[in-house]
Amino acid sequence: MTAMSTFIDIQHITKQFPGVVALNDVSFDIQAGELHAIVGENGAGKSTLMRILSGVITDFEGQLSLRGQPVAFRGTRDAEEAGISIIHQELNLVENLSAAANIFLGREKKKVFGLLDDHVMERAAGELLVQLECHVHPRQLLRELRVGDQQLVEIAKALSLETDILIMDEPTSALTESEVARLFRVIDRLRKQGVTILYISHKLDEVFRLADHITVLRDGKLVRTLPRSETNPRQVTHLMVGREIEAVDLGAPRQPAEVVLEVENLSLPWRGHARAWRLQNIGFSLRRGEILGIAGLMGAGRTELLECLFGSSPEPPQGHIRLEGRPVRFQHPAEAMQAGIALVTEDRKRLGLFAHMTVGQNITMCTLSKSARAGLINQRLERFMAEGIVNKLNVRTSGIDAAVTNLSGGNQQKAIIGRWLLVKPEVLLLDDPTRGVDVGAQAELYRLMDQLCREGLGIIVTSSELPELLTLCDRILVLCEGRLTAEFSRQEATEQRIMEAATLRVQESA
Amino acid sequence: MKDNPPASAVSPPEADAARRVATPAGVFESILRPFRRSEGGLILAILVVILLTTLLDTQHTYWVDPGPSAWNILRHAAMLGIFALGAAIVIISGGIDLSCGSVIAFSGSFCASLMVVLARQEAQSLGIWNIVVAIAGTLVMGLLIGSFHAWLITVLGLPPFVATLATLVGLRSLARVMVENVTQQVLGHRTTQIQIFDKQFRYLATSVWIPVVLFVVLAGLAWLLMSRTVVGRHLHALGGNEQATRLSGIQTDRLKWLAYCIGAVLSSVAGILYIGATSVAEPQTLGVGYELNAIAAAVVGGCSLQGGIGTIPGTVLGVFFLRIVMDAVAKVIKTNADIYEGLIVGCVVVVAVAFSQLRQARGMRKRFFAGPLGIVTIINMSLFAGALGALAGQNAALNMSLFAGALGAPAGQNAALGQITIGGLTALTVFVLLWLARFWESKRSIASP
Repeated sequence: MTAMSTFIDIQHITKQFPGVVALNDVSFDIQAGELHAIVGENGAGKSTLMRILSGVITDFEGQLSLRGQPVAFRGTRDAEEAGISIIHQELNLVENLSAAANIFLGREKKKVFGLLDDHVMERAAGELLVQLECHVHPRQLLRELRVGDQQLVEIAKALSLETDILIMDEPTSALTESEVARLFRVIDRLRKQGVTILYISHKLDEVFRLADHITVLRDGKLVRTLPRSETNPRQVTHLMVGREIEAVDLGAPRQPAEVVLEVENLSLPWRGHARAWRLQNIGFSLRRGEILGIAGLMGAGRTELLECLFGSSPEPPQGHIRLEGRPVRFQHPAEAMQAGIALVTEDRKRLGLFAHMTVGQNITMCTLSKSARAGLINQRLERFMAEGIVNKLNVRTSGIDAAVTNLSGGNQQKAIIGRWLLVKPEVLLLDDPTRGVDVGAQAELYRLMDQLCREGLGIIVTSSELPELLTLCDRILVLCEGRLTAEFSRQEATEQRIMEAATLRVQESA
Repeated sequence: MKDNPPASAVSPPEADAARRVATPAGVFESILRPFRRSEGGLILAILVVILLTTLLDTQHTYWVDPGPSAWNILRHAAMLGIFALGAAIVIISGGIDLSCGSVIAFSGSFCASLMVVLARQEAQSLGIWNIVVAIAGTLVMGLLIGSFHAWLITVLGLPPFVATLATLVGLRSLARVMVENVTQQVLGHRTTQIQIFDKQFRYLATSVWIPVVLFVVLAGLAWLLMSRTVVGRHLHALGGNEQATRLSGIQTDRLKWLAYCIGAVLSSVAGILYIGATSVAEPQTLGVGYELNAIAAAVVGGCSLQGGIGTIPGTVLGVFFLRIVMDAVAKVIKTNADIYEGLIVGCVVVVAVAFSQLRQARGMRKRFFAGPLGIVTIINMSLFAGALGALAGQNAALNMSLFAGALGAPAGQNAALGQITIGGLTALTVFVLLWLARFWESKRSIASP
């Protein structure tokens, strides 16, 4: 490790946001041509660091050097000119433009009079895409492409910028297995061309397959940088969480009681889409005191299934839903809530949280009319209800009058679950409840779900993390492209078998 | 602390409070806190404007005649405030109602038409029942207009901006058609306005206290609705996060219906008062541009156009601030002050909103005049300042002959030339100052990484 080969030098970088130190005196360096993985829990500061490297964040303490020269980016343009590109987890592309137009966005090739030279751009885009094993026409609109292909378009864009440092933020989170394999081949090829890659992931198997060095961040601090050859996943996990992950033991097996929810032949059409059905012929049942897990890749229809049960699907589903034996057909979430179904949504910020309100107001949102007489809110009763939930679910907050945005992700999630518990539902639907929640709070949420289940609630939970489902659930359904491809009991289920069922159709069609 | 854990464990809030007050910065903070909020700042701003007006007004009306001045402001503020409350409720619920001005014109004309049709004449006395029926009918019409907005928005899925823009244009036109037809049918000749001479009806608005009491009552009810009721909380939620509100099992479409109905009905009330005050329903000119006054009052009062944020007391203060600024202009300029109204409203809104935005985003360190847009902005502002300078110069040339004399342009003799000179000098000064500011900005941004 000589100074000569140091390509990116990160020196004492500190970044504070109001109330949080996102990065605290982080220093490490990255060698030319290596694949350097950066791992850490949610909130460890990985994405803040990447946003500094790619010029999104420009005011921070510390010094960044590139090829031995100190640099101070004033924006993403500067970073791009210095050869740094970033592939965000949420892709940064314009859906209504073609692949070629996206690749050359902001740097369009022009003919005389400033007219666009589509021909040249499409040819160049085509060459780049073929090089990346991405067999789409450059003129195809981006929204018509699969997520994996969209991602390759973004990589092609980075390559057309003559990037020599590529930052990839959780690139495999939305990909099928074959797409992951293709991405890894592309990564290998890029490395042969001498591109330095910063790879952010929490999937340690990928990290250990690809990386030369692994840097672990925890709570904004650098824990260690390790050569891959000198470490193992167990040690890295330990460094990430600062402790061994305790296996959450939820005690004795639960005793499911009578059936509370039955679904038969549920289908949800998808107008104007090649797949025609978001969901097709789904059937299952849920008992009281049971946690039913739903596994599946992104786009498999997990969220859509819960939306159908809650009456919030984009259009009404076909088929039969029976709640406590009675057939139900919800037009609006209000009706589902009335009937005893609660949904904790996946995208907490967008669909769940009232960011401008207090913790208490967030908790009592659904049940406010219960604490009111003639429409006037009884503030004492409202506080009493909110405080009851804060205590029962152990929401860590300075009080129910605190702004809900001051809470950590896990505690926000608890507040929203509390909102729905006040409704006293029969069935609780949880859509990826531990997304954006750190490991410690995850375990707490598991115990909470277990406790609620033992109190007689029927729970359906989806998750993109298989170990989570294996820990929590009595039974696991597997969805693949809108179809139910398998059902496992807790004893039968393994990660391997679930993954096979979840990618069944993908592999067939590939 | 470590030596004595039980004590701190027993009373953490007190200890916390003590620590907060103990530091000098803490004391300073607690004194300033009310003024940090927009309400405190607005009260301060209102007092400053009143003080400035008292000083700058050559007749010192506020000082000489405080009672009538106050009543005058109150009456105008009440009329504006009644429909500004509606605008605020719509804005808080995440929508926008651009149609206020036309709803005022339409409901004023509708009320007048109804009275004339019922009485079959433009008489001195219409009879109390005709008036009551006409007013009730107008309020029902307000409900219908609000419901139509709600239908356009929730069922057809039009953006609120488009839906209410359409009625802004459409309703005024409809009102003119209606007035022409009604005058043709009832009076036998086609006119563009209906005169209302009835004393009882006119008393509604010419008396000082009815509009004011009405405003106070309506503001109280609106405050109760928005801050103490379930529906009010849900309206705030709707404005803050519509998706989450729907997914919380709340009927968002009905909430929108309510919000737009409140907006339209309050505009109708204002419409009735306006024709009472002027004794004529002339749809072509009644309430033109008032929607922007209402939105401006709400926004100045702290309502966020993104929705979810805003209070009724803030809006009431916003109304008073706006009205007092308009009154100040009238007092200072005296002749033809109403043509400056739009200019003032525009400036007040830009300054108030920019101020709150910048305060949130720690934007005082921003560069305001960077790049080509910055240069054009400097030219823009210089021209604007020059124009204002020239206008002020007109007053200066007339009122302060001393100043004009010093410039070498004797008062009255060559006022136009003096005006141009003053305007030019102002523009030049502002240009130089802004250019220096630009230079200083760029220096500062290089100094701090």
